Amino acid sequence: MSHAEVPILKVERLSYRYPTGQIALCDVSFQIGMREVVGLIGPNGAGKTTLLLHLNGLLMGTRLAPRRGETASVVESVSDGGGRFEAENIAAGNRVPVEVLGMPVIPENLPEVRRIVGILFQDPDDQLFCPTVGDDVAFGPLNLDFPRDEVLRRVGEALAAVGLSGFEGRSPQQLSFGEKRRVCLAGVLACEPNLLALDEPSSNLDPRARRGLIEILRNCPAAQIIASHDLELVAEQCSRVIVLDQGRIQADGPSREILADEKLMAKHGLEVPLSIQYNLKLSPAPH
Amino acid sequence: MPGDFLDRYSRGGTICHRMSPRLKIILTVAVIVTCAFLPLSNWPLYGCLASLVFVALSLAEIPIAYLTRRLLLFLPLVLMTAIAVPLSRGFAGGWQTAGTVVIRAVVAFLAALWLVSTTPFDRLLAGLCRLGLPRLFAALLAFVYRYIHVLFDELARMRTAQRARTFKRPPGWRDWKGAVQLVGTLMIRALVRAERIHGAMCSRGWTGKMHSLD
Repeated sequence: MSHAEVPILKVERLSYRYPTGQIALCDVSFQIGMREVVGLIGPNGAGKTTLLLHLNGLLMGTRLAPRRGETASVVESVSDGGGRFEAENIAAGNRVPVEVLGMPVIPENLPEVRRIVGILFQDPDDQLFCPTVGDDVAFGPLNLDFPRDEVLRRVGEALAAVGLSGFEGRSPQQLSFGEKRRVCLAGVLACEPNLLALDEPSSNLDPRARRGLIEILRNCPAAQIIASHDLELVAEQCSRVIVLDQGRIQADGPSREILADEKLMAKHGLEVPLSIQYNLKLSPAPH
Repeated sequence: MPGDFLDRYSRGGTICHRMSPRLKIILTVAVIVTCAFLPLSNWPLYGCLASLVFVALSLAEIPIAYLTRRLLLFLPLVLMTAIAVPLSRGFAGGWQTAGTVVIRAVVAFLAALWLVSTTPFDRLLAGLCRLGLPRLFAALLAFVYRYIHVLFDELARMRTAQRARTFKRPPGWRDWKGAVQLVGTLMIRALVRAERIHGAMCSRGWTGKMHSLD
């Protein structure tokens, strides 16, 4: 990313502990530039989804004290699941770990933060909760209080962007899995987010649907953070990769360097994508 | 369970399907209320109501076989209630009352079936909203309709997985135990899913108020 511009996302020393006491994220720091497309990879249970849920304030972890302590004290100060930022906490010093376009992710800023950051969840059935496709895609724009014309324009455009124009009247149970995922993406795109956070966007898709999804993402101007086990997708789509394991960032750098690092990949339950192993020519990263 | 078990014929093109949902709701409620308050002595009117409903159903081209299957699911409940009448009130006038209960219930049931079989669920909800149903209540109904399919699919998958590891039919009580475990698991899964849905709603700017395009 170029360092001249404001990052769209800035995460600093973010830590989060599940209500059960288990540590999910520990001292996670990174930034994402305005048009950057970043892959987030790591084994199951690494904390990828938990991290994504922090990006729009669905979860709110704490920021570690500025001093670098021993692991024990670091672990002590990780908040529990209920840890929210109280006003005095913020007044005491800037301890908010996540910033979106320079705006701290605190309860007062959530409406704006959630407009800027769109999250695509893993299970389309969780995200498609309205009786018809049209209603579902309109859900976000309606919550943004747009006039009816603007809502309809956005619904039409978002459905066109995912290749499902004319699906407004369908009900979700009539759709194939791939169509459901695309409608979910349309629902997120209709809010015109500046940062797309995608949780396993290609999981359970057949090759054609997967290819279609990659094309949609390529045409999307927003910055993207893609959490995925589909390393070929990451290799093809992302210029930069973050490796997360046991709640910590293990590596962060250009995707071709990181994905080609056999030792690093094996250590974190990953493997070098075949396209890199066989030195296939990768199509150039889009952004 | 097929995805359209509730409103399989709701997307047809007959005159009934083209009627305004509001009008259909009002007609259906009118038939049900009339049916419920009609005194026993006016029994020929029951016949009129019943034939009205049958005409409406045939105009909507809903197959008899489908209606019969639905009715067979519904009848046991009504019959149980009806049988209780002569048993508690004596057999003299009891049978007559029981008969009325059954006829009223069947006519009301068929009328409601006509409504949901000629109106897609989302349009039905929109119609109800225009007739004054609170948005939040409509949203709740929409959620029930949406997720009953998902939950039934989930249940079916769990049943299959359970059967795949059941090598011979277990004795009766263990069969029941398995079913109870399934229901328990399903409830926990539903709860966790509800939390994820809530997260997805908040992510798209939901703040507790239901908006609608209509």
